[in-house]
Amino acid sequence: MEQEAENIQNNAKKRVLVAMSGGVDSSVAAALLKEQGYDVVGVTMQVWDYSEDQCDINEGNGTCCSSIDVDDARAVADHLDIPFYVINCEEEFKVNVIDDFVNSYLEGKTPIPCVNCNSFLKFDFLIQKMKELNCDYLATGHYATITTSRTGQASIVTSADDWKDQTYFLFGIQKEIISSLLFPVGTWKKPELRAYAEEKGLPVFNKKDSTGICFVGPSGYAAFVESQVGKDKIRPGQIKLYPSGEVMAEHHGIHNFTYGQRKGLGVSYNEPLYVMKVDGETDTVWLCEENDLYSSELKINNVNLLDEIVDGEVLNTKIRFAHKGADARFEKCEDGFVVKFSQPQRSITPGQAAVFYRDQQLLGGGWIL
Amino acid sequence: MRNARKSVAQLIGAQVLEVVFTSGGSEANNEVLMGVFSAINSGKNKKFQQQERNELVVSSVEHPSVMKASAHLAQIGVVVKKIPVNRDGSIDLEVFAQMLSSKTALVSMMFANNETGHMFPIQKMVKIAHEHGAYFHCDAVQALGKCPVDVKKWDVDFASFSAHKFYALKGTGVLYQKKGVIFEPLIHGGGQERGRRAGTENVLSVAAFGEMAKKYEEIDTRAATMKELRIYLESLLLEQISDIEILGAKGKRLPNTVNALVSGIDGETLLMNLDLEGVSVSTGAACSSGSREPSPVLLAMGFSVAEAQRSLRMSLGWDTSKQELDDFVTILKSVVTRVRKLL
Repeated sequence: MEQEAENIQNNAKKRVLVAMSGGVDSSVAAALLKEQGYDVVGVTMQVWDYSEDQCDINEGNGTCCSSIDVDDARAVADHLDIPFYVINCEEEFKVNVIDDFVNSYLEGKTPIPCVNCNSFLKFDFLIQKMKELNCDYLATGHYATITTSRTGQASIVTSADDWKDQTYFLFGIQKEIISSLLFPVGTWKKPELRAYAEEKGLPVFNKKDSTGICFVGPSGYAAFVESQVGKDKIRPGQIKLYPSGEVMAEHHGIHNFTYGQRKGLGVSYNEPLYVMKVDGETDTVWLCEENDLYSSELKINNVNLLDEIVDGEVLNTKIRFAHKGADARFEKCEDGFVVKFSQPQRSITPGQAAVFYRDQQLLGGGWIL
Repeated sequence: MRNARKSVAQLIGAQVLEVVFTSGGSEANNEVLMGVFSAINSGKNKKFQQQERNELVVSSVEHPSVMKASAHLAQIGVVVKKIPVNRDGSIDLEVFAQMLSSKTALVSMMFANNETGHMFPIQKMVKIAHEHGAYFHCDAVQALGKCPVDVKKWDVDFASFSAHKFYALKGTGVLYQKKGVIFEPLIHGGGQERGRRAGTENVLSVAAFGEMAKKYEEIDTRAATMKELRIYLESLLLEQISDIEILGAKGKRLPNTVNALVSGIDGETLLMNLDLEGVSVSTGAACSSGSREPSPVLLAMGFSVAEAQRSLRMSLGWDTSKQELDDFVTILKSVVTRVRKLL
């Protein structure tokens, strides 16, 4: 008890900027920090102008052009009685997240916009805001934890909830800032967290988890890509069967396909077929039978390292968020690493990230070529 | 209602029946702009009947309620002319005179700008407008409580006011309509306000405005005190903080408004920092959260987007004290010094 009281007293001198999305995780993060005695300042990044395409008067509480999530975040901040600001980041978001997302699809890749949002907005733009607002820490509602070694080095470690662990999306942050980060919900499991939110009366306690990509509406990512580019960027092409090269069908744009996809291919065949490769150079989509989806090697570039790794080291590696991880040997090459798995992996997808761990520690990641 | 109308009439220098209560300044502004052209088109305005009066002249820094009503009028066939302003917020009276003609039906100019405090030479403009036979509307929302108000002396045909700018309740405005000038009501219905503004009156808010209006005698001394403090604040800002520019410093301005560009710091960042320190200021016009649109007023004055985003608007009230200004500048200085180091 005494220790706790002392902690609260020490924390009171520390100001934390907490990124609030309006979801239950970051809301609980803010509530926990407040309970721990920090001087908490809430902030929401307005990243996408909802007014352009869907100005629904039912959506916002205040003005029709603020999204319901911003209003939710504000309601939580009011409930917690903490200062709250909305920071407009539409421009930064468009340049760093949206444009890259759209271009990746048009190149035949399957992008993960959340990584760029973390790397360039939450943990870069907001770090700057943290300093500008005289805050000591930046907190988010990510499911991840931070440990500090005896030498004082801070590392990101997987969260208590294996199902929710979000360290995969965090590999792109600069290691120098880790010691300025707080992930208050990283030691929680989701059901307990919801119970806590309800007990504290947070207005978002029963709000649905966000799934998928925040800026992609119900009409899907392909429609989103089309809405963002000129018609000339959407090129038709052929769907071919591997290895024969037989033309199975025509398609109206490679952005409609992702590696490993089985549904909606528009072809009929006596065996189930999957997308094996989307070739952005020739606009060809290659299909194959399941056993041809597997491969043991990939190459990554634009690697960000959060700690040192040894050339030839075998590391637990995830090739997509939902991947459970597999052992792979890391060999340094000119502009990144060649990653060799001990077991073949299904649908290694360009545009996704290979993220690697030593035990539970996040070591870094790179983009799959 | 009767008593309130009487005190408000006295406050603005009007006759009792020239006072029309509305829901606020925006409604009053819309009422005039829409109503004047509506009455011309319907033939209700006999004075303009044989004339081709289809032009509206406004400044390029008017309040959104005038700007957007003008844009709507332009959509339905009215020719809208906007007078440009200089970097100090002022207009060139010769340019103004050249824009007017026998086709001008209405001139709508604000008494003072809500963001910079810059005051237009209303009486001179009214004279020119009347020489062309046009109506003159003055959006005087910013004037109440800060300057002597006298619609008769100004010789305007219409003027708009807002109760909450005079420390009364939000939700009430006043449209001054000179006896004999014609407009079509914006809200049709019952016979309230002599048919000029239908709908049940907001009696409580109107009565509150009436009570406050009785303090009109205090305005001169209050304004003098505010002006003294504003000058003090400005000298303090210039003395304590490097690279700061006070907008329109040389022109005639409201006694309570200071708009400054603080170089190197985003207005949004300053605003949040000051708010955390317990100071309420504004970047440009009242901040619409989440919007980083630069102030159209500053853009119209010729400032770049980056400059406009660095503006900080400070307003003084009747009760602002010298001590508060000292404290404010101390806080501002520490924030500015700290944030500039991060750049």
